[in-house]
Amino acid sequence: MATIARAAREAVSERRGNRPDWVLFATMVVLAIFGLVMIYSATRSSGTFSMERQMIFVAAGIVLYLVASMIDYREYRALIPYIYGVVVVLLIAVFFFPERNGAQRWIELGPFDLQPAEVAKIVVVLGLASILSPQNRDDVRPDLTWSKIGLVILTVALPAGLIYQQPDLGTMLVFVFVMMAMLFAAGASWRQLLTLVGAGTAITVVLFRIGAIADYQLNRIRVLVDPTVDPQGIGYNLAQSKLAIGSGQLLGRGLFKGTQTNFHYVPEQETDFIFTAVAEQLGFVGGVVVLFAYMILIWRILVIAANARDRFGALIAIGVAATFMFHIFINIGMTMGITPVTGLPLPFLSLGGSAFMSLAFALGIVNSIWLRRSPVPGEQYVV
Amino acid sequence: MRYSVRLAVIGFSFMAMFAILVLRLWFVQVAEGAAIAQEAQELAWQTRKYEAPRGDIYDRSGKLVVTSRYVPAVEVDRTFIPIAQRDELIQRLSAILGIPAAELDEMYEAAGINGRFTVGTVSVDTAFELARSLEDLPGVDIIKVPERVYLAGPDLAHVTGHLGLPTAQDLEKNPDLDPNVRIGKLGVEAVYDEYLRGEPGIFEYRVARGEIIEAKPEIPPKIGDSVYLSLDLQLQEVVSRALVDGIELSNEVKAANLARGEEVYSETKRAAAVVLHAQTGEVLALASVPTFDPQQFVSGLDQETFDRLRESQAFNNLAVSGLYPPASTFKAITYTAAEQFQFPFPQDVEGVDPENRIVHCDGTLELPSLADGSPQEKSDWYDGDKGWLDLHGALEQSCNIYFWSVALGVWQNRNSMNVNALQDFARDLGYGQPTGIDLTGEAAGVIPTPELFEQWKEYQLENPNSAPRLDPSRLELASPFLGGDLMDLAIGQGALTATPLQVAVSYAALVNGGDVLRPAVVRSVVDSSGEVTYEHQPEIVREVDIDPAVRRSLLTDLGRVVSAGTARAAFEDFGEGVEEVGGKTGTGQTSPNRDNHAWFVGVAPLSNPEYVVVVLIDEGGSGGQVAAPVARHILQYLFGNEPTPIVEGEDAD
Repeated sequence: MATIARAAREAVSERRGNRPDWVLFATMVVLAIFGLVMIYSATRSSGTFSMERQMIFVAAGIVLYLVASMIDYREYRALIPYIYGVVVVLLIAVFFFPERNGAQRWIELGPFDLQPAEVAKIVVVLGLASILSPQNRDDVRPDLTWSKIGLVILTVALPAGLIYQQPDLGTMLVFVFVMMAMLFAAGASWRQLLTLVGAGTAITVVLFRIGAIADYQLNRIRVLVDPTVDPQGIGYNLAQSKLAIGSGQLLGRGLFKGTQTNFHYVPEQETDFIFTAVAEQLGFVGGVVVLFAYMILIWRILVIAANARDRFGALIAIGVAATFMFHIFINIGMTMGITPVTGLPLPFLSLGGSAFMSLAFALGIVNSIWLRRSPVPGEQYVV
Repeated sequence: MRYSVRLAVIGFSFMAMFAILVLRLWFVQVAEGAAIAQEAQELAWQTRKYEAPRGDIYDRSGKLVVTSRYVPAVEVDRTFIPIAQRDELIQRLSAILGIPAAELDEMYEAAGINGRFTVGTVSVDTAFELARSLEDLPGVDIIKVPERVYLAGPDLAHVTGHLGLPTAQDLEKNPDLDPNVRIGKLGVEAVYDEYLRGEPGIFEYRVARGEIIEAKPEIPPKIGDSVYLSLDLQLQEVVSRALVDGIELSNEVKAANLARGEEVYSETKRAAAVVLHAQTGEVLALASVPTFDPQQFVSGLDQETFDRLRESQAFNNLAVSGLYPPASTFKAITYTAAEQFQFPFPQDVEGVDPENRIVHCDGTLELPSLADGSPQEKSDWYDGDKGWLDLHGALEQSCNIYFWSVALGVWQNRNSMNVNALQDFARDLGYGQPTGIDLTGEAAGVIPTPELFEQWKEYQLENPNSAPRLDPSRLELASPFLGGDLMDLAIGQGALTATPLQVAVSYAALVNGGDVLRPAVVRSVVDSSGEVTYEHQPEIVREVDIDPAVRRSLLTDLGRVVSAGTARAAFEDFGEGVEEVGGKTGTGQTSPNRDNHAWFVGVAPLSNPEYVVVVLIDEGGSGGQVAAPVARHILQYLFGNEPTPIVEGEDAD
């Protein structure tokens, strides 16, 4: 009976084509709606403007997700050099726009400010996936040569260097993390990985020595050990965030009732520190539910990476998973004082258009990979 | 490694990262949550205190003598200062206030993280200039702080006292004190500090990112209670001027003496006076010269000025802390004791008639040979022969020989009577212990007794390098207290020392019938709502038994001192009521190379004594010549007579 039923289901599935990953889509939408509620909670003292703005981004993000789902991800391969070029130009363009909060990250487009760094994250994932996967049908199991790794590093280094100049240390670190994850998935040997780690460490040490790393950036790391560093600045943010989360306790103070967050002790609580608002108001339980939603998201992306039709798709999915993972870990860790304070947003929760739309589009590409997997369960074209 | 294995490794790594986040969340919210929540509650509120204006001080007639006013001050609150703007802010403040940046820097660091500090009071002009720039100076504010104003100035300085920041000891004793708020350091400011201090205003608020986001209702500062002195400012001014004039007179006399070829050792610089109410113990005036302006402690006193003032003893209230031999003023005590206890007269002494209790005051007393080797002949202060005098004449003429004889009689009978009879009487009258006045720095003084001399001898033998109190020859004696010591005591000399206030209290007791009163400078304390929080009641420390006949006799004889005795010349111009004035002169000998201390104790009115006036001119010379005219001037004022200039009296003991 069971065998017949499975055969029937498979026949239907084959006839109707692959179904989209509804869990992926649903998780994204649930997180986005929850994000709207938290943004409202954090900004309601000044009206509903921020929430309404984010609603537009959410709507645009869902459209982008659907568009990306419909486009065959393999089509990007030929376009990658051109998209990459455009992104680099945009990353240079930000330096022609005025500084905000001591940084140049935005291209002003009237009602909406584009952050090219957010777009660059996705484009670099596509680029690396392209370099690390077979170039044609004969190239079934490509060796991961040092020259290929060199090309990967160059591809990452150009946008990463530009972003470092904005300055935005956090986003630069996203590139490093994603690159390492994708190299590992693509079959880099332990020797290659360790060499890269060693070289990276050496470069960091040199940068410290020549003073290329600004004091405030050092402070963001120092403050993890010694909270008295820069008490009015970064130390203040951290201390207040930790106090706010701690006062949430098991069940939270109740939605809209966070005194620490609602009295604006915690800065940037609708953007970078939104998890603080979640944890204070909804407690440990609320925080774990959010983390669980992200876990589902990451799990689904990795399942798609396992089921991708080709190595290109698989590597894209792994790159996207790594991007999400790094954002989640660094952002939430930051609010609890275990990772450095950086400007990385929390995916789908933080207020911000460029990040939301880029990540929604990335997730759409992942869904596209899922839709175009082998219709025969378990079968992969490229191993 | 197969692709699927690598994928699994990635999957597990990511799950591990989630696990770290969940564990950390558990730690912060559940394991440590309660403690952190508590901390959040406490850290959130900032408390700032507004110094309360100290209470006013009024004189006996209700005249304001010390008050408080508000002046602008600059305050810096680090909570509102972004770290990046710190240096620029200090530079700008330094430029506007004219305070070196390094100094401001030090204050800034000393205030600590999220701390607050007051840079100091500023002039109104500076405050206005600063007000224009406040917009660009986050964390800087102009606040009003109370400042003390001493309207009576130096005349009342030793009574009102002055303020200063609490020392480490003060803070240890009273942990509630704000280390930045001045407290009373001297006089009434110190003794009545708790009343005068008031309660600071409190403002509690929460700051987030440089803005106050929530505040509890502000509790305004509660002004301190008002203190009403028993002193009369006008009398105080008369007394202060009289002392200054007395010092001037003393120096004139010294110059004349010097011209005559007499020995003069130093310029007269110091004097003290007390006017005490004989029935209530209220202090009506209390002055010490030199003095200081307490206002200087408000505006800031440089080290040099401070050192100069301290060296001149300007901060010492000589009336309560200066110890002097009371000299012949003490004869009134010996007089009363001798009459009250009928001390035996010495036998077999030439010039002493024990039957009639009269003594031949011919200038020298030849003593019978004494086993202990006391000086065998004592010379009195005067030249010539005053004839045979009884107790009354002896007091009037301040005849030392008479009072020596009284002591000698006690000494001769020391085996059959209390050798300390005079000392005990003096102690009962308040000598040798603080009077308990409500002022700071009171001295106790010394009453010489055989027991005390034993102690001194022992101490001196154990600590040969300390300053000697006894002559080295005494150390060889089994009992270092000699008959001569008791004789010195009888005339207020020798080891006996007392403060002008103790002399005043003892005379008050002698003339009021035996009540030793605790003197007080404060009559009452009234809080801001008009409620009396403290009221001085005359406090009798001890009741000394004095025969009313002896008291009457003493009053009469004190009157004779003024009308016919050693103070007659000084009181010649007194005017109406002089018959109601009595007193006793005193000339205190100190070390051989110093001028004598000039004393006068006045008592009036004799029919029902109200005032005791004590004047001491430190190393000023003769009591009758220098101190008595000063007291006469003060008593003239008290009697409503026009005080006549302070001119030389008779050069008498």
